[in-house]
Amino acid sequence: MTPVRTLDVTGLPMYEISSRAPLWWGQLLLCVIEGSVFSILIAMYFYLRLSVDVWPPTRVQLLHTGLPTLALIPLLLSAGGSYIASEAAKKNSRVGMLVGLGSNLGLALVFLSFRFVEWRTFNFTWASDIHGTLVWSILFLHTFDVAADLIMTLVLVVIVAIGRYGPKQRIGVHVDSVVWYFLVLIWLPLYVVLYWGPRLVGGA
Amino acid sequence: MFATGLPQIGEAYFTAASMMIGITSGIQIFCWLATMWTGRLRLTTATHFVFGFIFIFVAGGLTGLMLASIPLDLQSHDTYFVVAHLHYVLIGGALFPLFGGFHFWFPKFTGRMIDERLGKISFWLLFVGFNTTFFPMHLLGLHGMTRRIYTYSPELGWGNANLTATIGAFTIAIGGIVFIANVLRSRRSGPIAGADPWDAATLEWAAASPPRPYNFALLPTVTSGAPMWTPPEDRGVVTGMRPDRREVLVTTLTEAQPTQRMVLPGPTPWPFLAAFGFTIGLYGSVFAFSWHYIAAALGMIGLIGWFWPRRPLEIEP
Ligand code: HEM
Ligand code: HEM
Repeated sequence: MTPVRTLDVTGLPMYEISSRAPLWWGQLLLCVIEGSVFSILIAMYFYLRLSVDVWPPTRVQLLHTGLPTLALIPLLLSAGGSYIASEAAKKNSRVGMLVGLGSNLGLALVFLSFRFVEWRTFNFTWASDIHGTLVWSILFLHTFDVAADLIMTLVLVVIVAIGRYGPKQRIGVHVDSVVWYFLVLIWLPLYVVLYWGPRLVGGA
Repeated sequence: MFATGLPQIGEAYFTAASMMIGITSGIQIFCWLATMWTGRLRLTTATHFVFGFIFIFVAGGLTGLMLASIPLDLQSHDTYFVVAHLHYVLIGGALFPLFGGFHFWFPKFTGRMIDERLGKISFWLLFVGFNTTFFPMHLLGLHGMTRRIYTYSPELGWGNANLTATIGAFTIAIGGIVFIANVLRSRRSGPIAGADPWDAATLEWAAASPPRPYNFALLPTVTSGAPMWTPPEDRGVVTGMRPDRREVLVTTLTEAQPTQRMVLPGPTPWPFLAAFGFTIGLYGSVFAFSWHYIAAALGMIGLIGWFWPRRPLEIEP
């Protein structure tokens, strides 16, 4: 083979802070995987609901709706912080990234503390019955994802604050918001199922 | 499936779903046949195995369609009819293509040709042996011989067919021995293959046999689905990639136009820590829940360590 044509790629950029970055697609596919797991959990919830007459089983309290509904406010607002951070990452604005990441982190922590307060009111454990297993599985998985993403957000805050970042880390800031949007959005159907499901399809 | 006592709606669903496999498998078969029809066939050992694969797999698919109908399956479930079906599809669909691919790419990964005469002998031993072994199982199954039973009383009259199957199984074994002998012999003393012994169309045949660890010194550009058959004046190479770090080209999806020259991370032990943490954490969680936290902590440390920015922070073009 005697190549006569050459394709010179010297001038191509090394990175792009947009949905053209392979990392962005990696994060999106991660969300697809995690979304499938949550969908399976929802399907399990309703499938197992079919096998009993009363849901949740007797002596188990209905989950309160007040606190979780209130907690939606800081959660939805925190997505705004993610948006500010990812737009700032594109423009390489250090202040913007700090404001965005910081408000994302702060509001998410408010959301999480609501959640921990609420947990203390449950009168069942994950080992009590099938309803308890499902509620705790869904809550545990979502909380675990949220906590992992918040630790990563904290790492981003630190490296942006001390100035130890380049374009690669700014891609990190950008895709961090993709995961956060996913975790906020997936919580909405989970919230409806966990807190309103028993009221709508509870039987009794 | 159908013999498990599913409700009728479930059975109808699974019949439909099983029949759908027939449609997709059928489309695949017709695609392969069309590819061969429009090409100029050379009856190499690899081609023999491809024909064997199609023959056997189609037969297995036909018995699969039979099994997908509830009345037939209720009679033949848990009999050797199923054992025959599964070997026709598994050996026909997985093993024969594997043998075919092995003979086709042997020159690429060893640098030497594999002997065609011995290859064809092993093919015929395997093909005849396979059908001698597994075809009688259809009949045995329809006569009621159940699976997973180690012996049957002689009065049932299944002795001859089982003896035939045993003879077939030994024929398969001989075919396997001939194949292994051929591989060992050709690896040592087969004729040198060169980069492209088959005059094949695809890009792996542009690399040396066996290929260098980096495959190509300069990435080839591709303008058609058969890059090795495009005229030499239309072939080209990519220049301008830096060889001193891990660069890969990011391209658009459909047109494959290069858009970025992405730099991948270099070697680092951090992901190993993450993998180690998850491994011991998941084993530990079989015994105590608290291992989940250890897994999470070690995994997180590994990921953060991997992510932590190293200098230089700006990527030089
Ligand atoms: C036309 C397509 C096919 C149809 C309609 C079909 C249908 C079926 C049905 C209904 C059974 C259950 C028989 C019983 O136990 O009563 C079965 C068993 C089986 N099939 Fe298929 N099949 C098809 C293709 C395949 C393919 C392509 C493979 C794998 C390469 C495969 C592998 C198997 C295996 C391993 C079993 C037996 C599992 C066991 O009980 O040990 N089949 N098939
Ligand atoms: C010389 C080659 C082979 C022979 C003679 C052979 C023979 C048999 C026989 C007699 C059974 C039925 C056992 C029983 O029901 O008591 C069986 C089961 C089976 N074979 Fe093969 N086999 C061969 C190769 C293969 C290969 C290459 C595969 C997979 C790609 C395979 C997959 C299976 C499976 C999935 C079963 C069902 C296992 C079960 O019933 O628990 N076999 N084989």
